[in-house]
Amino acid sequence: MAPVRLVIDGHPIEGEPGTSLLQAWVAAGLPLTENVGCMGQGVCGACRVLVRRPGERLAQTGLACETLVEDGMQVAFINLSRRSRPHPYDLHALGDSWDAIGRIDELFPEAKRCRHCGGCDSACPKGIEVQQMVHLAAVGQTYAAAELFDDCVQCNLCVAACPEHIDPAHLGQLVRRMTASMTLRPSDLIMRLHEIEAGEQPIDLDAPGALPPSSSIENEPVQGTGDQR
Amino acid sequence: MSAGIAYDQARTAWRRAAPANARALDLPVTELLTGFHPDRKRGTRSKLMIGPNAGQKAPIALARLLQSDSLLQDVDIAGAPTLEADVLVIGGGGAGCIAALTAARAGARVLVATKLGLGDSNTVMAEGGIQAAVGADDSLQRHFEDTLRAGHFSADKELVAALVSGGPSAIRWLIREGMSFDLAEGSQRMGGTLRRKTPGGATAARLLSFRDFTGLELMRAVREATLLQSSITILERHPALELLSDDRGRCAGAVLHDLARGQAVVARSAATVLTTGGSGRLHLAGFPTSNHYGATADGLVLAYRLGALLRDIDSFQYHPTGIAWPAPLEGQLISEAARSAGAFLVNGLGQRFVDELQPRDIVASAILREIAEGRAAVRDDKVGVFLDTPSLERARPGILGRDLVTLRHLAGRAGFDPAEEPFLVRPTLHYQNGGVQINVAGHTTVPGLLAAGEVTGGLHGNNRMMGNALLELVVFGRRAGASAAADARRDRPRNIGLTHLADWRRAMEGHRLPLDRKAPLLFPPYGNFDPVRDRRRGA
Repeated sequence: MAPVRLVIDGHPIEGEPGTSLLQAWVAAGLPLTENVGCMGQGVCGACRVLVRRPGERLAQTGLACETLVEDGMQVAFINLSRRSRPHPYDLHALGDSWDAIGRIDELFPEAKRCRHCGGCDSACPKGIEVQQMVHLAAVGQTYAAAELFDDCVQCNLCVAACPEHIDPAHLGQLVRRMTASMTLRPSDLIMRLHEIEAGEQPIDLDAPGALPPSSSIENEPVQGTGDQR
Repeated sequence: MSAGIAYDQARTAWRRAAPANARALDLPVTELLTGFHPDRKRGTRSKLMIGPNAGQKAPIALARLLQSDSLLQDVDIAGAPTLEADVLVIGGGGAGCIAALTAARAGARVLVATKLGLGDSNTVMAEGGIQAAVGADDSLQRHFEDTLRAGHFSADKELVAALVSGGPSAIRWLIREGMSFDLAEGSQRMGGTLRRKTPGGATAARLLSFRDFTGLELMRAVREATLLQSSITILERHPALELLSDDRGRCAGAVLHDLARGQAVVARSAATVLTTGGSGRLHLAGFPTSNHYGATADGLVLAYRLGALLRDIDSFQYHPTGIAWPAPLEGQLISEAARSAGAFLVNGLGQRFVDELQPRDIVASAILREIAEGRAAVRDDKVGVFLDTPSLERARPGILGRDLVTLRHLAGRAGFDPAEEPFLVRPTLHYQNGGVQINVAGHTTVPGLLAAGEVTGGLHGNNRMMGNALLELVVFGRRAGASAAADARRDRPRNIGLTHLADWRRAMEGHRLPLDRKAPLLFPPYGNFDPVRDRRRGA
């Protein structure tokens, strides 16, 4: 297949069809030291881009590791610092769950002023209903709000898109973290912690199972020692 | 590598045989590993000549980096901007954030320097889960023995005992930071039970997870906590080029490279924690990798040059099922969940060739043997064996849509339907089993230098169990952070500089090692970046 021609950050480059924007960038010999992380799994949210295709008036946001090269594309990396935090809070100082839900408005007062422009929804590369989450969080429906943000990769494109400075990505994390830390109390974990504290889970470093078998271990493979990651 | 069987022919053979009959390995395991595991391959390792591990073997590419000269001369840091901290954390993945949080909460002023952005790391890519022995049918002792056995009894027992006994409290700590875990079906949030899966090689269900992106969920909570902690200063795009030493041989911080300005920055600290992760991007023996872009063994290089002992550095984990075709997705991981659920591996003759649930080193070697002996399928010059997802879907209808969401997503990006077409897979470089030697408090053999996470060695022996990597970075991130904060209160370095480099260079010259070989690498060669030239830009 013939290579496609596109422009990334002002550099005219040729890309192999089927490759991602990120792969085309390095294949063109350009230095890659930022806007990159997992390199293709689409989970780190570091390689944000703005993409305009020929014939389209508006540009779309996306991730450079998941967007494939197309002829005539105009691409710009979006550099977003994730470090400026206009909505600071201490999760461990929010009080109990009676207080905490009421404090969402105090910490993120802009959330209730959402003007429903939909900018966050169209900016999200994961198709999350960001605006709906903002609404649910603002009215205290924390668990429902948290669930909507299950797939968030913290790319912060919704933060950049919001004209009201709501900081949806961080509001989403607040409700997620609040929900987990205040309501998740698994009995099996709690019981085991009590046993450990009571000294009922000792470890014997020299138990028979902690010593290599006398026969050749290499010839007796254990069952499925693996990793499902 | 032999040519193999043309894809169309191989596909016909697969289709005719599907579902293929079970066929056990027809070679003793010892012979299989010796003949085909990349760690054991002749001519791929070389003996280290200088440094604390002199006389031991390492993969050639890693040995080259370990025996390289520094990117710095004294003159490079004269007049460089200087930062001061109680604790310097190098690396901003899971272990780094957790060490930083722990040190900061113990009262230390913390500086986190990271090469990419905060959280851009292997942690965020972990899918499967995190081990912790919480079940009534499980115990710390079982977790301890399972981990030792999986690592072929070569792990450090004290470290493993610390790892497993810290499991339950690590989960409590994560929940307190706001991480969610899946609950058992029908279970309540208060007083219910956690969803537990059985990791390969385990004698009890012990793997806790959040859907199939546990690492992302962990990193989201921990990154947010780190960003919000006021006594932590974060320097993104600041890889470390060299550790600083004092006149007693203590670690005294690091020289960082500010990528935005092309400038050296001196970060002085009373204690330094290395959390730089692994080395998949070295592509050892030409393998593709499932690792993130920054995994270039920087921490091993820095620690070794300052005199820290390493261990098990010739042991790597090759995940059996990396994508072999199409080229743009090469090396990306297909979770072992597919094989656990019952997906078969089939060669180009339509035959199975190994019990798919054997340990990873065995399954990966068996695939490499099929490739080497010409029984693999070849598609557009890419060689691999089939992962038979269509037969899995027929045997357990709906499983691809319900439980293997990430796998379906990958197939979609490759442009086929996994219910109709099998994947073409081959092993991918996945994890660095060894690394910097630490004790249970997280100290390396160099005073003032601590380490946590994948950069360390000793916890996994020669083979890591699934779910122990995320557990390691939490348990030892916390231990190293606490120790660093305590150390910083006790002692501070004096007469700081790059004094260790003089001895190092003498040793290199003594062994006729080329001084023009520089490390750390910082980025893979295809990243088109030269740190020396970049520094001239900033000068």
